Amino acid sequence: MLKSASDGTSTAQSRPGGWLERWAERHLRYLMLAPTVLILLALTIFPSLYMFYAAVHRISPNPDLPWEFVGAGNFARLLSDAQFHVALRNTIVFTVVAVTVEFLLGLGLALLLDKFIRRLTFLKTVLMIPMMLPPIAVAITWKLIYEPQFGVLNEIMYRLGLPLQAWAGDVNLAMFSIIVADVWQWTPFIFLLMLAGLASLPVEPYEAAALDGASSWRQFWDLTIPFLKPVIAIALLLRVMDALRLFDLVFILTGGGPADRTKVLSLYIYQVAYRFADPGYAAAISLFVLFVTIVLSTWFMKRMRLAD
Amino acid sequence: MVRKLFLTLAAAASALAISGAAWADITVLVPSGSEGDGLRAAAADYAKLKGTKVETVQAPYANVFEQGANAGATKSGVFDIVLMDDPWIPFFAENGHLEDLTPYFKKAGLEGPDNDFLSKSLAICRNPYNSGPYVCLPYVGNAQMFFYDAAKYKEAGVEAPKTWDDVLKASKALTEGGGGRYFGYVFRGGQGNPVVADFMPIFWSYGADLFNADRSKVTIDTPEGAAAMKTFMALRDVSPKGVESYNANEVGTALAAGTSASSINWPNWVATFEDPSQSKMVGKISYTAIPAGTKPGSSEIGHWTMGIMSASKNKQEAFDFMLWATSPEQIKISAERGNPPVRASVFTDPELTKQEKFRHYPVLMEAIQASTPRPRHPKWPEIENAFGIELSKAVAGTITPEEALKNAQAAVEQITGLK
Repeated sequence: MLKSASDGTSTAQSRPGGWLERWAERHLRYLMLAPTVLILLALTIFPSLYMFYAAVHRISPNPDLPWEFVGAGNFARLLSDAQFHVALRNTIVFTVVAVTVEFLLGLGLALLLDKFIRRLTFLKTVLMIPMMLPPIAVAITWKLIYEPQFGVLNEIMYRLGLPLQAWAGDVNLAMFSIIVADVWQWTPFIFLLMLAGLASLPVEPYEAAALDGASSWRQFWDLTIPFLKPVIAIALLLRVMDALRLFDLVFILTGGGPADRTKVLSLYIYQVAYRFADPGYAAAISLFVLFVTIVLSTWFMKRMRLAD
Repeated sequence: MVRKLFLTLAAAASALAISGAAWADITVLVPSGSEGDGLRAAAADYAKLKGTKVETVQAPYANVFEQGANAGATKSGVFDIVLMDDPWIPFFAENGHLEDLTPYFKKAGLEGPDNDFLSKSLAICRNPYNSGPYVCLPYVGNAQMFFYDAAKYKEAGVEAPKTWDDVLKASKALTEGGGGRYFGYVFRGGQGNPVVADFMPIFWSYGADLFNADRSKVTIDTPEGAAAMKTFMALRDVSPKGVESYNANEVGTALAAGTSASSINWPNWVATFEDPSQSKMVGKISYTAIPAGTKPGSSEIGHWTMGIMSASKNKQEAFDFMLWATSPEQIKISAERGNPPVRASVFTDPELTKQEKFRHYPVLMEAIQASTPRPRHPKWPEIENAFGIELSKAVAGTITPEEALKNAQAAVEQITGLK
């Protein structure tokens, strides 16, 4: 026993790095996790906490003036800020209309092409292109399409003898124009998710339903939709979260105009933070958007029983 | 082996980072477009001449303000000089982002900028306006002019537009005869800065202004304002469809392509209109002063000015560069590169004025001297945004011009705390 203990000591002493190596071995799991945790702290946790801190302060653009604690003052401003109300209303309109259209088109296309798409790889690639483009490139492309005097859309209208439109510059068409561009870019995303969902459907229930004489519509409504529910939920959730953050298209196409008709929350936050140099209030609006997104997502996940 | 490789890479990365930070002696934030391009070219010349490395960081118009404001608020010292649009000066100066240039002039044995600079160009570089210390030096002499196709105007029965009534008369005739493809007038109707910039000269030409003389009262909703708005709405009716979203590029393109006959515009567009590779209207566009309303017309001044950031660690080097870049010789070179000058000697230099592409210089010099600055207020970006929203609504027809004035009055009162 004594011999063995003595052997053990001499072995430990003879190992290079001794105590450091033992410590590293004991804490290996923490050491392995440390880089990820540090990056997460630096890039996610710290900015989030800082945003909470900023939201309860009035921050002057003058660096020599101290931050003034205003408590819930910035949040109270949300109630009386007419521009915020306009941006909120526009964001809701955009999110509801754009995501609904994208979903219906994506699902429709997926159902239509489900049987053929596996053979048409080229078509699948083409349909994915809008989704892979940088949002700013999409916005500039649509700006050129919508340009009232030289844009291709009005050129087509002119040649067809139809009245020319101002598109993104028309107070009644501006939001529609942005929704069309967004639908063009993001319908393929829903389409691909639905296609993946359809490919994973079991065959047996359909065979049984067909034997029972169920119509295609009944099969779609009672089998396809319930089976696709988790995929639909994920697709809608991701699109709603993304639509609530819409910025690029509006920034390039309309700048929030005309007449404030396309001012959305992200654009307003940007203006408040950078143009009006009021980062405290911008942080409060950002937290409001975060809160709405979390509440919506939680409600949606519960409703679609994704949590189960 | 792996450890050695890692250490070598780390050392190389550190060396790169350090050398990167120390790469430039001066860093200048400039806008994209001819103004920034001009200063970037000057910086390259300066580096060759003096051996001082000048790095220029170029950003779109709005981002220059944002990056400058961020650098000022965080005292980062990342930029030594910022090339500012003149309405930003009160914001930068009153929030402590700009260096007072007085001690630097003294050290150079100067009282201040010399008398060759146009007086209006110098006035904007003092904060408060025309009375405080110099916080910048003027570099690009922008002031709006009235651009028009003289032949088309003549066809419409107007020889040279002197008043807004002349402009309306010609524009109405040209638009009516244009079949929806040609228009008598075009303007920047985009919400925010564009629509405000193109409305202000009309506003002033009817005797209206945003504030009273001592800036103690907002004066938007007045009979003078209503008269200006009436003309603005009449001009909208003879402009292309979609003008509500137009910015400088759309207006410039409409004129260069010959699809609109006239507009208020900035002088740096002259180079485009006179360039055969970019314009169908070479030699056909005439330049004149802003037309009169019930009062003489007045251009909006929109100079680009250079200021030293307070957090700069290279202030003396920055001042030396600014003084050099705004010297008569360099302003002349800048003019040849397409940027309007800020010095009388360059405006009247026969070497330049005999050239066709500088034929607008007498008009521009007069325009600068008769110009009006946008209200000098540290909250100008917010004021401009609020006013721009109401003007945009009026242009789009979602509210009446009277409502636009009333709403703008209330919004600006709320922002400024003035009643």
